[in-house]
Amino acid sequence: MINKDLSIDFLGVHFENPFCLSSSPVGNCYDMCKKAYDEGWAGVVFKTIGPEHFVVDEVSPRFDELAKEATPFVGFKNMEQIAEHSLAENLADLRRLKADYPEKVLIASIMGTNEADWTELARVVTEAGADMIEMNLSCPQMTSHEMGSDVGTNPELCQKYCAAVKKGSDLPMMAKMTPNITDMGPVAKACLAGGADGIAAINTVKSIANIDLDRKVGLPIVNGKSSISGFSGKAVKPIALRFIQQLRTTAGLEQLPISGIGGIETWEDAAEFILLGSSTLQVTTSVMQYGYRIVEDMKNGLMHYMAEQNVEHLSDLVGLANQAIIPAEALDRDYKVYPNIDWDKCIGCGRCFISCYDGAHQALTWDEDTRRPTCNTEKCVGCQLCNLVCPVGAISLGEVVMKPGRTGDVTAVEVHSSRLS
Amino acid sequence: MTKHYDQELDSGYTMTTVMAEAARCLLCHDAPCSKACPAHTDPAKFIRSVRFRNFKGAAETIRENNALGAICARVCPTEKYCQLACARCGIDTPIDIGGIQRFVTDFEQQAKMDILEKGPSNGLKVAIVGSGPSGLQAATTLLQKGYAVDIYEQQAKAGGYLTYGIPEYRLPNDIVDFEINRILNLGATIHYNTTIGQELTLAALKTSHDAVILAIGASQAKMLPMFENNAYTETAVDFLARVKTNQGHVTVPDNVLVIGGGDVAMDVATTLKLLNVPQVTDVVYETFSEFKASKKELEATQQMGVTIIDGYVPDSINDNTVTFKHRKINGQIQVQADKIILAVGQVADAAHLDLTLENNEVPFTGYQTTDPKVFVTGDIAQGDKTVVWAVQKGKEVAETIDAVLGGH
Repeated sequence: MINKDLSIDFLGVHFENPFCLSSSPVGNCYDMCKKAYDEGWAGVVFKTIGPEHFVVDEVSPRFDELAKEATPFVGFKNMEQIAEHSLAENLADLRRLKADYPEKVLIASIMGTNEADWTELARVVTEAGADMIEMNLSCPQMTSHEMGSDVGTNPELCQKYCAAVKKGSDLPMMAKMTPNITDMGPVAKACLAGGADGIAAINTVKSIANIDLDRKVGLPIVNGKSSISGFSGKAVKPIALRFIQQLRTTAGLEQLPISGIGGIETWEDAAEFILLGSSTLQVTTSVMQYGYRIVEDMKNGLMHYMAEQNVEHLSDLVGLANQAIIPAEALDRDYKVYPNIDWDKCIGCGRCFISCYDGAHQALTWDEDTRRPTCNTEKCVGCQLCNLVCPVGAISLGEVVMKPGRTGDVTAVEVHSSRLS
Repeated sequence: MTKHYDQELDSGYTMTTVMAEAARCLLCHDAPCSKACPAHTDPAKFIRSVRFRNFKGAAETIRENNALGAICARVCPTEKYCQLACARCGIDTPIDIGGIQRFVTDFEQQAKMDILEKGPSNGLKVAIVGSGPSGLQAATTLLQKGYAVDIYEQQAKAGGYLTYGIPEYRLPNDIVDFEINRILNLGATIHYNTTIGQELTLAALKTSHDAVILAIGASQAKMLPMFENNAYTETAVDFLARVKTNQGHVTVPDNVLVIGGGDVAMDVATTLKLLNVPQVTDVVYETFSEFKASKKELEATQQMGVTIIDGYVPDSINDNTVTFKHRKINGQIQVQADKIILAVGQVADAAHLDLTLENNEVPFTGYQTTDPKVFVTGDIAQGDKTVVWAVQKGKEVAETIDAVLGGH
């Protein structure tokens, strides 16, 4: 079996691999974190610890999932807040975890309602042996508006609370961002100004995933009512990647240390977050669906990817894809690429024809006798929707042509990708 | 679509279809499929790897547990093992574990992965008599542990029944050769055209090696007395070897009678249909309810249009006409054919090997014989006679030898 060094340093802390549990139901007590460590996770962000005066009182049931066709858990809606155990119990668990797993990384997620809370929580988790602190400025389902994402959209509050944490602890600290904001840059900068050493992104997206149509109530139903709460899982991955990419390309934040979060469940997802600038990765939803064991294939697959890329250190991959994400106005708009239709591979379903007609430019014609599509290049704009919907890979990228009046070398155009062959 | 003898009958998954099949997997806790694989190939783990798009990791799981992973993927009667145990049966149909395994091992081959590693040499040498599946797996496990391995094969090619028995459309020779080359690259030496007792003696092997494994299989066809010297009769073993060696380029008459109801008989009958023999009749001793052949093989055979008559035993033969009597009821049938192929079992030939066999098996459990230097594995060891069991026995005999010789 392949064995490559997956270790990476983040905020001065050494991680044996980039994979951590994110602060959530999956890291809620000693036994859970122990099992996660044993199954190969390098770090745990223990479920957010709040101040003693904030009483956690949860609803039942508290989850919902978004399905598409036969695929469950495309996205996941969660109403659970922060750790429900007492502060003393949480701190005891941190102490025991650090004592039993000194080589693993233990990150304490904390959340206060005022500066004094933040300072005190930072102090006690440091005392308990945490290696790092994560500030939860982003939970969208708190029962207090002094906590969670209402704080995380306010740069002044974020800066003040970051400074408060730094007052209570010398540990490296990352601030966890909410995606329920247009631009994460000002908040991230405020956090750094307040003393944060890095950023964790993203927390969950405010959502209503489904409505019970007979009862006319959102899901989950809590005694006949429901609430907006955080959405996570594969469906939010594109949103997370966008925020991380934008952070790393904000002037002054090009080297921003990031812990990437948002729908990671395969080694490919992990590699994407790393290539856009994440050094460590945090996972919850896929663990809730499949268990801690998913880390095995993420680690092994990432090792194979490093071998394929001839990379010895994971850090060599961090941020490599950022350079090729440019503003829309800067893209090459001088050419188009036609579809190439392989009639031998075609099984005659006509999905390309429907999508082209109803969703694109009516460029495919359909022969009702042979049940085969033909591309009318006069109408085709080269959008490749047909290529994406073909169930058997019979449509590939074909001829590249310059648009009328444009000049350029069609053979030099880079069109191929892992999605469009 | 017309199928040919030299084309694999099952066309296999594409990347899209294998993901759809893997998505059906329930990713069970304490997965019953993995517990049901005799060779511990761990389907739950490699399907999970496929599900999470780690195809190379899937290949590692298969290969490290089963040196003949690509072969088992094609010939294993999965409906008796992993797929019988599959929890998805509680919803609809089991996961096509063999099909997913085939996709992964094909991927492994295309990606030119070299997964197995030879262990650091421990200075000990083992001789293996026979290069069938059990001998090949024993060789692999021993090489991984640092032993030097010599394999002695009486035929011109290695693989035993994999090479000379299982038809091309079910197990292409290319696949078998690829798996054997992998084991050769790991450091095994195969001495072809070498029969122990003729070119070399068992005593000589015991002198030159620290241990000897007899993995001779049941390579000789069983003959029923009434068919001896019948000009129309050929054994299944001879027929399948002849067709496979000639890659299907053989002449067969239009009306063939097959006698037997195991997987070998199904292989013969299906081969005949793929060679475009119009009339293939298979008369079977067992009734359908007690059939020996795997369900998959039986169904494939029936789909090809073979006439299968169950519950009849041959009573007499006159030239090219065989009279059968029903085993339970009073009734008989006569079948006249241009050719008769006898697939009624196989026997082990342990001549010159100082080995006593009872019903083609050693009369003891385990792998070490009364001669402490001599071990057995494969079909002559007690237990099931499938390829997957041969693989497991190969691993176990290697572990036994390692325990006895203390190679570490």
